[in-house]
Amino acid sequence: MNDTMLVRAEDVTKTFETGKLEVRALRGITLDIAAGEFLALVGPSGSGKTTLLNLIGALDRPTSGKLTVLGRDLAGMGKSERAQLRLTSLGFVFQAYNLVPVLTARENVEFVLELQGMASRERRDRSGAVLDELGLGELRNRRPREMSGGQQQRVAVARAVAARPKLVLADEPTANLDTENAQMLMGMMRRLRDDQGMTFLFSTHDHRVVDHATRVVTLRDGTVASDERPGVAAYRGAPPL
Amino acid sequence: MSLSVSSRFALRSLLRHLRRTLLSVVGVGVGAAIGLITIAWISGEEGMIVRAAAHSGTGHLRIVPTGWADLRDPGQRLADWERDLRAARALEGIVVATPRARTEALLGFGTRIASVELTGVDPRTERRALRFVRNIAEGRYLTPTGTGEVVVGRTLAERLDAMLEDELVVTVVGRDGEMNSNILRIVGIVETGSREIDAQVCQVRMETVEELTGLSGAGEVTILIDDYRRIEEARSRLATGIAAGDVIMSWDEVAPELLAGLQVDQSFADVTVVLVLFVVLLGVASAQLSGVLERRKELAVLAALGMRGTQMVRVVVAEALALGVSGTVLALAIATPVIHWLATSGVDLRDMAGDVDLAMSGVLIDPIFYADFGAWIVPYAIVLSMTATIVASIYPAWFATRTDPASALRVA
Repeated sequence: MNDTMLVRAEDVTKTFETGKLEVRALRGITLDIAAGEFLALVGPSGSGKTTLLNLIGALDRPTSGKLTVLGRDLAGMGKSERAQLRLTSLGFVFQAYNLVPVLTARENVEFVLELQGMASRERRDRSGAVLDELGLGELRNRRPREMSGGQQQRVAVARAVAARPKLVLADEPTANLDTENAQMLMGMMRRLRDDQGMTFLFSTHDHRVVDHATRVVTLRDGTVASDERPGVAAYRGAPPL
Repeated sequence: MSLSVSSRFALRSLLRHLRRTLLSVVGVGVGAAIGLITIAWISGEEGMIVRAAAHSGTGHLRIVPTGWADLRDPGQRLADWERDLRAARALEGIVVATPRARTEALLGFGTRIASVELTGVDPRTERRALRFVRNIAEGRYLTPTGTGEVVVGRTLAERLDAMLEDELVVTVVGRDGEMNSNILRIVGIVETGSREIDAQVCQVRMETVEELTGLSGAGEVTILIDDYRRIEEARSRLATGIAAGDVIMSWDEVAPELLAGLQVDQSFADVTVVLVLFVVLLGVASAQLSGVLERRKELAVLAALGMRGTQMVRVVVAEALALGVSGTVLALAIATPVIHWLATSGVDLRDMAGDVDLAMSGVLIDPIFYADFGAWIVPYAIVLSMTATIVASIYPAWFATRTDPASALRVA
């Protein structure tokens, strides 16, 4: 395996069983993601985007096939090991922001660092620095309900990157944002990728996200329909999703 | 020092539904307060029963001849009663030590007779050890030098149809089996408030019993100390000073039926406390589980971010601890004045049960019950409240650890 490959999926399948019903969400995905990529995962609803994100994010395990994330085979990892992998090496940004409502912006960022066992002073410094770096210094003592959707999503990005993960997974990060905030968010994440070499993987329907991607992987019916790079021009010419 | 973020998360989560949290705190506080009051009442009852038993003739400790516990024969005598008495009186914390010699006797007056246990006593110390003979309704108590004198209870006097200054014929079986008789003059009639007890009181000087039975010395030395909680300590110190052939018994060994009664009451109290705490525990568990269910999405997000099961358990337990601390404060606020009132004013059982005879197994029970008040209330309040809340948090905590992190990616 190439050392720069953060993710390697080989013929990965995922089947869900609901009573007697069997749903094959992924039907043999083969995909490599290299360090530093800014990859958009696109496709219609039910194509398997979120399922693939769950698997790469070590939130679930594949039914068959081999999935290696940061050099570790997920099939052999227990619940606790996967939690540790998520905590130390992966960052998450959710569609609905999902900040903890009773904590301030700074505390939300600090929480992840505390879970990692970072010392109190160090995590305060780190969370403050990350918020300042992302232009959120003035919001640090505000709680989520005191912030706009765009501000909340930027804090969510700060939370995702504060622990300096190697891979950030974002599920429809701009779905609830207006154009201005969506562009601001994508610009922020692109800068993190350019300046700090972080790798970003998005699932999205939003062309504003796709426009920023360096690679676009399209899923249909649980399989990879296309894999294009540099994806911007190619994607613009593709039929609407 | 500032709180950790997870502690702040736990505490602020409690404030999200203030009314629910307050209700949980009230549940814990009231439940623990009921538990404290029950324990204080039973503990007070224990002190009262021990005091009543000790002052009804049993003593806190009693030196008896070896084998007396099995035979309970009033004819048995101590190996060296004077040595035993000296050792008892040298004891630290001693209130009184008094010798007694008992014998079974028949009292006769005119055409009436009554079978009694005649108790020979030392009049100088007996009244400090036996409360029954403090209430002389007619006449006086025995004197150290008076001969042929007897003090009887009112019921016994009535059975014999005898009055003050009447002369009774007393008959006992001597040490060699011969019948010995003498004349005893009633110098005092006591009324204890219990007709059962008043039928048993029949005291003479110890020398009178010695003369009647031909048995010299005392059959027991009854000891009262200043703190019944130090009975075992006193017993072990006394053990080295008494004569060989004599043994020491505590009040509960002398009167095991009283201990059994106390144990029944204590078991009842334990069951009451456990039931109350169980109901409180269910209420708290329900409230905490609701809190966890409402935050499933949040917990899923935290799990997705890498929060481990043990860290999640810590958050739920921190919430339980906060409820427990608040519950402890409320329990103390409720229970302290109630227990203090019960300990100082007491509850007069006659108000509830009427003017009943409060004698039990030859022990005159105080009609006014007092609760036990002291610093013990604080640690007990902490233990009761914390136990209820921590145990209640086990299931919600376990439930929280079952959160599926993948659900964080689903839009609510």
